[in-house]
Amino acid sequence: MNDVMNKTEEIVKKAKSLGADEVLAKTTYGRYRQVRFSNNQVDITVAWNDYTTDVTLAWKRRLVGTTIHDFKGVDSGLANLMELAKVSKENPMFGGFVKGKFRYATPKPDKKLEELENPTDYVFEAIEAAKKETGPDIDSGGILLTRYEDVYLASSEGPVGVDARSAIEFSIRAFAQREASGHSVECSSTLKDFKPARAGTKAGQLAKMAKNPKVGDEGAYDVIFDPLIFGSSLGTWGGMASAYSILIQMSVFVNKLGQTVAPKIVTLRDNPAAYAMGNRVFDDEGAPARENVIIDHGVLKGFLHNNSTAKIFKTETTGNAGLVAPNAWNIEMDAGNVSKDELFKDTKKGLYLTNTWYTRFQNYAKGDFSTIPRDGIFLIENGEIKQSIKDLRVSDNSAAMLNNIAAVSKERQHVHWWGEADPPSLSPYVLIKNVHLTKSK
Amino acid sequence: MEEDIVDFALKYAEGKGVEYAEARAQSQQRDQLVFRSGILEAYTSAVDSGFCVRILAGGGIGFASTNKWTKEEAKAIVDLAFKHAKAAGRKDKIVFAKEKGVETKWSVTQKRKLEDVSPEERIATFVDIDKALASCGVKLPATVSQCMIDLISKYFVSSEGSKISSFVPKMQVYSFITVAEEGKTEQAYKQFGYSGGWEAFKEWGIAESMIHDARVLKDVITKGKAVKAGDMDLVCGPNVTGIAAHESCGHPMEADRIVGREMSQAGRSFIYKGGPYWLGTRIGSDVVTVVDDPTVEHSYGFYAYDDEGLKARRRHLYKNGLINEFLQNRESAAKLGMKGNASSRSVNYDREAIVRMANTFVLPGNHTEEEIIEDVKYGVFMKSFTEWNIDDKRFNQRYVGREAYLIENGELKDPIARPVIETTTLKFWSAVDAVSKKIEYEAATCGKGDPGQGIPVYTGGPCIRLRGVYVK
Repeated sequence: MNDVMNKTEEIVKKAKSLGADEVLAKTTYGRYRQVRFSNNQVDITVAWNDYTTDVTLAWKRRLVGTTIHDFKGVDSGLANLMELAKVSKENPMFGGFVKGKFRYATPKPDKKLEELENPTDYVFEAIEAAKKETGPDIDSGGILLTRYEDVYLASSEGPVGVDARSAIEFSIRAFAQREASGHSVECSSTLKDFKPARAGTKAGQLAKMAKNPKVGDEGAYDVIFDPLIFGSSLGTWGGMASAYSILIQMSVFVNKLGQTVAPKIVTLRDNPAAYAMGNRVFDDEGAPARENVIIDHGVLKGFLHNNSTAKIFKTETTGNAGLVAPNAWNIEMDAGNVSKDELFKDTKKGLYLTNTWYTRFQNYAKGDFSTIPRDGIFLIENGEIKQSIKDLRVSDNSAAMLNNIAAVSKERQHVHWWGEADPPSLSPYVLIKNVHLTKSK
Repeated sequence: MEEDIVDFALKYAEGKGVEYAEARAQSQQRDQLVFRSGILEAYTSAVDSGFCVRILAGGGIGFASTNKWTKEEAKAIVDLAFKHAKAAGRKDKIVFAKEKGVETKWSVTQKRKLEDVSPEERIATFVDIDKALASCGVKLPATVSQCMIDLISKYFVSSEGSKISSFVPKMQVYSFITVAEEGKTEQAYKQFGYSGGWEAFKEWGIAESMIHDARVLKDVITKGKAVKAGDMDLVCGPNVTGIAAHESCGHPMEADRIVGREMSQAGRSFIYKGGPYWLGTRIGSDVVTVVDDPTVEHSYGFYAYDDEGLKARRRHLYKNGLINEFLQNRESAAKLGMKGNASSRSVNYDREAIVRMANTFVLPGNHTEEEIIEDVKYGVFMKSFTEWNIDDKRFNQRYVGREAYLIENGELKDPIARPVIETTTLKFWSAVDAVSKKIEYEAATCGKGDPGQGIPVYTGGPCIRLRGVYVK
């Protein structure tokens, strides 16, 4: 391990000796294992190993980068990079990499996720749990993914650090009928807290409830969002909190800093905590990764920054670099004060949405978008689920939906699914008023 | 790329008594330029190079990859893939449709080699685009442009005796603009893509295209009116026809969806055995023929052989309104008792090849665009789209117009702000009564797979006219 760190630091020194003003090198040794299944059987098990060092350097405010594999061709790679810097163009907005020596939190990876024995057992455990809910004829598919990364970072500006990041995620979609499905996920940074049967059970329950759906009616509804589908909204708002999204107008938060953007019950943070799939102790510049409040009791408090965007916004880095664009690592919504059951009980007429996909915007700055709920969609009447629904689309506005949050549950779930509920989040059940749904004509 | 290590990996895999094995290497030089409002944010240049093995053993599939080029690593990934294939424990054993081995080399030609274009010239090209935009008379608070230049070498060997080498230079540009007028904003994005050399830049006319979009968005803000919702004729420009062909024909015709392999992520299809739609079922009018064709020269989705070593050919997906031929890889073909048709693609050495589109478009008809519009008493010409989506069975879709005009008595009138068609695949394609002679392709990146594999494709196509559809 020391050898890898030494080689990473050596790259920084070599680039400096070639004339670079500032240099960052990040070596990642990644082991990724994935089981994909459908029709209740394993389709393929995939394993990929990655040995990369990402090198970024600045010369007279020209920012250039490359990737070196397995420490091969370091000298020529750096020489080429310096040549590229010399013919590149100045970026006047480049604020330098973060400076200083930092003490990082101790990483807490789960070594058991480095090479999981018999990962298919977890898949079958979940399928059996789904079957228990819905019967043997259930048809299910999904993925199990484990990720284990050793990360070594060295910067000419001071930061030096070692991180180890582990994660496991499981996603299962269960069909009780051709158009009756339930989808659930189980996400964790450790095996100890990973319970795939929990996802199987919920997917099975939703699939059973979703049987015999009817085409829904267009209109404005009070909608209870399941943690999985709400994770998609949290991901959208988290992405819009990146300072880069503000600069390029891909955000409803442009010119809204310090303003009320949501009711008081809404507090949103980015927190790459140890439990989370997005766990890390430093960002891509070597700034300590930390908890940042984005929305505090409805008021937009801050954006997510790297060192350069922080300088543009006259603030400090939040530990979210991305070298060009800052990233959210793990969005948390603070728990509310009602239980999930109370949320349903108090809904006279509304919908319960469980998952979505294909979220697309007309205009990110305005927030107009649509997304297609999939899997269980349910009509709620007088606090009870009355009917399974299909073929509806949420066609609304992202800023308006944030502002129309009416209740947040005490219960929260750590969710991540594909590119749809991404980045990972800690997501509650949420009631949003006056959500517009449309359908095909 | 060290081909001897790839050959060694295959030989080592074959020695394990497998039903099938392949080794695939890819070396990709990628230069990427990111501009924001004319500022070059960063210029990255890197080679990603590695190889994978895919093994079918005991009726299960194992796949493993690495970017460490040693024989020890090759052995390690073969052992891993073999172990995982055997551990699948499937009741229904997977088989692959049999194919003959092929030995060949293929490449895409360049008029001006991408390798010969200096970083300075690449940068200067985008600086000029920004200058042109800045002086176009429209307020643009933000623009983003990204350019990716790829030199992709692949080497594929299989236990059936295939040995295929290829080289494809590829280039793509993505632009995103925000227009602000009268205190309101509108946004547009555009993608350009090409397999070949630097000559693409002239053909694309990026600055002209971005300036056109900027002016259109300004008109939408300052002059655009809402359409009065109701049944009317809708003329779709190539951009809209293309996305509809991609989403509601290409995707549902992917056989891995049809057999359920993608059920959890990309979803299934409204087409399935025993269901209301299958081969031979009518899904559109007689004038609708949609093809997927990887052999369109220099297209963004071009390939001569797919990533399972099959020779590429045109596939007629919907033929004269009937469901005709699915997109297949060898696994789906065997499962459905059909033949493979070279639709297996992978974005890199560390990703499994899965069923993908290449270039999906409606075949041209016999009308001019003028004739198509002339014959509309009242309707909308949706020239391009912005927000769009479709459900995961690929039946309920929505397209929102970016550039759109009212048509009255055969003439284009005022700009229409954000007209929407939200309808089913059956209604959309059944309503088509005219198709233009002229085709315009559009580049796009198609998303599928987990981990995601954004794959280069062409959409686009002709103008089409839909009679009596609900537009709001």
